[in-house]
Amino acid sequence: MDGSPIDNLSKHRLVVVTGKGGVGKTVVAAALARAIAERRKKVLLLEVDPRESVHRLLNVPPSGGGVVDVGAGLCLQNLRPRQALDEMISRQLTVGLVARRVLKSEIYHQLAEGGPGLKELGLLRYAADRSEKRGADRRGPFDTVVLDAPATGHGVSLLAAPRLVSEVVEQGPVGREAARLASFVSDPAKVAVVVVTLAEEMPVQEALELREMLARRLGRQPDLLVVNGLYPPLEGRLAPTGVEGDDIALDLWRRRRSANEAELARLSAAWQGPRVDFPLLAESRGFDLVAALRQRLDGPFYDGGSPDTTRDGAQPKAGWSFS
Amino acid sequence: MIGKHPLVVVVGSGGVGKTTLAASLGLASAAQGLKTLVMTFDPSLRLKDALQVGDEARRRAAPVPQEGPGQLDASLLDARQTFDRLIETYAPDDAARQRILGNRFYQHLSGSLAGILEYMAVERLFEVAQEGAYDQIFLDTPPTRQALDFLEAPARILNFLKSPALPIARREWFDAQGKLKATSGLGLFGRGIEGFLDRMIGVDFLREVSEFFLSFNPLYEGFEERAREVAKLLSSPSTRFLLVSGPGQERIPDALFFARKLREAGHHLDAVVVNRIHPDLGVGATEPKEGVDPQSVAAQEDGRALLRWLGERDRLGVEELTSLLGEYPLIKVPMLGDEPTDLASLKALGTRLAAQLPG
Repeated sequence: MDGSPIDNLSKHRLVVVTGKGGVGKTVVAAALARAIAERRKKVLLLEVDPRESVHRLLNVPPSGGGVVDVGAGLCLQNLRPRQALDEMISRQLTVGLVARRVLKSEIYHQLAEGGPGLKELGLLRYAADRSEKRGADRRGPFDTVVLDAPATGHGVSLLAAPRLVSEVVEQGPVGREAARLASFVSDPAKVAVVVVTLAEEMPVQEALELREMLARRLGRQPDLLVVNGLYPPLEGRLAPTGVEGDDIALDLWRRRRSANEAELARLSAAWQGPRVDFPLLAESRGFDLVAALRQRLDGPFYDGGSPDTTRDGAQPKAGWSFS
Repeated sequence: MIGKHPLVVVVGSGGVGKTTLAASLGLASAAQGLKTLVMTFDPSLRLKDALQVGDEARRRAAPVPQEGPGQLDASLLDARQTFDRLIETYAPDDAARQRILGNRFYQHLSGSLAGILEYMAVERLFEVAQEGAYDQIFLDTPPTRQALDFLEAPARILNFLKSPALPIARREWFDAQGKLKATSGLGLFGRGIEGFLDRMIGVDFLREVSEFFLSFNPLYEGFEERAREVAKLLSSPSTRFLLVSGPGQERIPDALFFARKLREAGHHLDAVVVNRIHPDLGVGATEPKEGVDPQSVAAQEDGRALLRWLGERDRLGVEELTSLLGEYPLIKVPMLGDEPTDLASLKALGTRLAAQLPG
């Protein structure tokens, strides 16, 4: 099985899952985390959304900020970016009294909330530490940390933040930390980037922009593209049944699928890396959906460089949609 | 709604189709003979093509070549361009202008200040509202999930201006020799903070930040005044809000959240638009008529089961939304086979939507 997307992701310390809001990024991150953990690895899935929802996808109680054991090697934590930044800053301020005073001060609060890139630095530092050493909660180090990146803006902000900050802040611990994290996220051996998208115009446009930004700002490529929510292919299946309501349904299906195919073609033209396609499934957002997607991660995947081959030896299927 | 309200704000979480709906309502409004503006953030390339607006719309409202009795302009919001123009407009003199535009903090980081896009949208809105050149404005809002950042931006900017952070940042930190001034005047607290900042980001960068805030000094009052004006405009009874939601049950918490936020802030939510609803095929619609090849029926079974499930999911989602947000009219927009990406289909969508909106 060596060479599958999951094998590749499993070799990284940090896997950042990015994507526009509404593409199913969190469900995909949960499925990836489960699949990586099943490679006999200790995995921490980090959720950043203050409205916790990942625990429901994994059938565990809410994290409430701490690390929750999901089982089968997987742990979950809902992390507040501010909490991570506070930790990073207090480590720099070795005198406890000073640290407490600074963290409580209004100017620090303003900088932390409004200062460009600072929360992102805190988040990445936290994720990097978790994969490197035992935490204060005596858990870890984890073999791989999967970070479900915040779905704000273009999702580029998290990965671009260290470089941005390091270009402007050249001195002091913040500048040094930014430079360290910039080279960390640029290192394709340590950090993997997964881009989740739908085969619709706007998400594809953003996925391509994200790829372009990664190349330009960080000199790297994403490791995996996940195309979510595809209408199933229907070649040769279009004979009308004469059933009432079917005509509308079939027409909708045919058009949405052909829109999907046009966007997949646009992605293939611009994307040379591996890609996994997930079909739209008759399953609500929840544990079963994650399990179903996780199963599909073992199926064939699309290797953008040569559309006629799969690396895991499975027979490629026409249209390359799902296994 | 068309023509009755000078400002219509379209809100909702990312990926629900706000931008398309705002553009289509703009076309419907222009079709009624109004002079209309659509302000948007992040239209898809195809929508930009459909409206035939390019990057010039980032600087000023650009006309959409539609054949209606009215007029439609489109304006693309760009935080950095708006910021630059603000400085061009409001800086007291050329020296002050150059000082800000040349500042390293401004050049690299001002574009990524938290909430800056939302704040700049507010500035643009103020500009346009001041000019009063339009009968009706449709404002698309930036995609956000956590909060109505856009609506909260004016208040946040006001709080920021009042907060103790700025007096510290705006103080003259450096003496004529460019050395950090003695900080004894600030007492124990000030020394700790200043020492902290110096330690964390270094004296050079501190100087840039301090210079940035200093050179902004003459601009603060205007910022505060405009933010207050826009806050007033947004909560005025003549400004109406449309909340757009996806149909699935997983979208419901977002819709409830937005509705609650709008209510709490005293904004006027006119309707909830549920976009992209799959057709309800009903149960048992699979019995084929006589004479139809049973093989083709079987082959379609998977896909049809999926579509039936989607239709059922959306029906339940809409039902739940109706019961939870019953006080607002709920407008259903079906999932279209093709995304509306030309003027005719956009206008058709807008006209149909406008007809269902409350007067």
